[in-house]
Amino acid sequence: MTEAEIEDKRITLEEAVKLVSDGDGLFWGGFGYQRPPIAFAHELVRQKKRNLTIYTCGSEVDLEIMAGAGVASRFEIAFSAIEALGLSNNIRRRVSEGALQVEDYTNLAMAMRFLGGALNVPFMPIRSMMGTDMVNLARYRGENKLKVIDCPFTGQKICLVPSLQPEFSIVHVQRVDKSGNAQIDGIVGEDIEGSRCGKKLIILAEELIDETEIRTHPDQTKIPATYVDHIVVLPYIAHPMMCHDYYDYDLEHLMMFHKLTKTEEGWREYLDNHILGVEDHFGYLDLVGWERLNKLRATRPWGY
Amino acid sequence: MVQYTKIEFLIACASSHVRDGENVFGGTGMPLLAALLAKETHAPRSNLISEAGFIDARPRNVPLSVADTRYYFGCAASLGLIETLGFLLQGGRIDVGFLGAAQLDEYGNINTSYIGPYDAPKVKLPGSGGGNDIASSAKRLIIMMSHDKRKFLKKLDYMTSPGHLEGPGSREKWSMVGKGPEVVITDMCQMDFDPETKKIRLMSVHPGYSVQDILDNVMFDLIVPDDVPTTPEPTQEQIDIMHKLDPNGIYLAKGE
Repeated sequence: MTEAEIEDKRITLEEAVKLVSDGDGLFWGGFGYQRPPIAFAHELVRQKKRNLTIYTCGSEVDLEIMAGAGVASRFEIAFSAIEALGLSNNIRRRVSEGALQVEDYTNLAMAMRFLGGALNVPFMPIRSMMGTDMVNLARYRGENKLKVIDCPFTGQKICLVPSLQPEFSIVHVQRVDKSGNAQIDGIVGEDIEGSRCGKKLIILAEELIDETEIRTHPDQTKIPATYVDHIVVLPYIAHPMMCHDYYDYDLEHLMMFHKLTKTEEGWREYLDNHILGVEDHFGYLDLVGWERLNKLRATRPWGY
Repeated sequence: MVQYTKIEFLIACASSHVRDGENVFGGTGMPLLAALLAKETHAPRSNLISEAGFIDARPRNVPLSVADTRYYFGCAASLGLIETLGFLLQGGRIDVGFLGAAQLDEYGNINTSYIGPYDAPKVKLPGSGGGNDIASSAKRLIIMMSHDKRKFLKKLDYMTSPGHLEGPGSREKWSMVGKGPEVVITDMCQMDFDPETKKIRLMSVHPGYSVQDILDNVMFDLIVPDDVPTTPEPTQEQIDIMHKLDPNGIYLAKGE
């Protein structure tokens, strides 16, 4: 067998974010505290992107950053808060100001919308949301938020949610080879479906590994290279949140972030210092401090 | 007499509603500790599931997020949302789910989305997350919330998750998988639902409160049976176990 030359899909974070146009829709990977692509959110802010629509189940700090900095004007999500700490202050303010519209779905509804997009079918049926204001009230999607119909087979009520095929899927993983075979440790959240639903897939990875390592542990590959368009490899992509087997969340930073976002002035201070005031992701990491980052390193077998 | 904090009391109370062998959506915070306590005491074969994807979890440290890696080590499987909310929950395999509520009406319908009008909300709350999915499809629902008169309303600002909707027959109309709320636990009392009317009913009053205190602190009509017992207090054993589960007081130390 001849060894075909492998395409190297690596680009810089800056190059990856340049691909995103104002007004685009993004599937946003990670779930809760786990593997959010925070570094990508920072770069969206630095490049002053506008009017993005973010599709995800429940992200936390990253949604706060994109709402706060005015990068995103529409969210189709199920959840926004910082678990254990409190409400999403930036989102709350932007919604009250009318600068951000949130179209409300449930976690299952969003996961099914990604699955429908990945399967290339126009909608998926689910048994949630019926009988509530999630059906009765909609924002910009209007009649196209969802439909409750009588099932053509059983006659029972069923809720149809529209599938999603946004311009990009942005997914953060632990490891990738240069062709794009991406491995996820721990839970996958909605990233299996989400990675397959976008028209282009950008993978952010903590570590670049050799193809032979991929082929030695292929069961860990959750996203095969054929789906992947571009790869960005950087450390601590999710800071101050966590990345299973790589690093824990930075609770002190998280609490500082949440406290600052309680006022617009506080948020501006964070934005100016931690996002706009640094050159790039390494500038942010230098500011956080490597001693502190090293302390967050995960230990085995716990994974945090 | 056993000394206990309000949080310890509520966790023990919630724990008593988990039965052995059940599949439980535990989440974080008090429900998580309640599910873990049940597992350590009367329900050793209960299966703690986090909607993020952790199945049969036995966390050695308390997770802050449903996706926290602290849920991982020692769990039986680590999967994803379609597995937990789809195959398990919508598949009709989850026995009991816990939810919080910012507002509750007399049919146990829940608001976790907006305070004020939908078009100009005063406060944007976290939203459904998996809450509406759980309220729609878990066989039984346990609601835990702080007791504030303004939260127990005739009319919600927004109905995020279904309780018994408009009463008898409404859940059936929407072919819901689950049976809806069974009990509401607050820091003053427990409430359940009248099987005929599906309306909320006083079930037990916590030590130190009277039936009148409860009636003074709800804004909906509450059915009061002739005999309202006092909610049982936690045992020393339960309190000791709770502190072993949360030695650093991540949740137990809150609001003491």
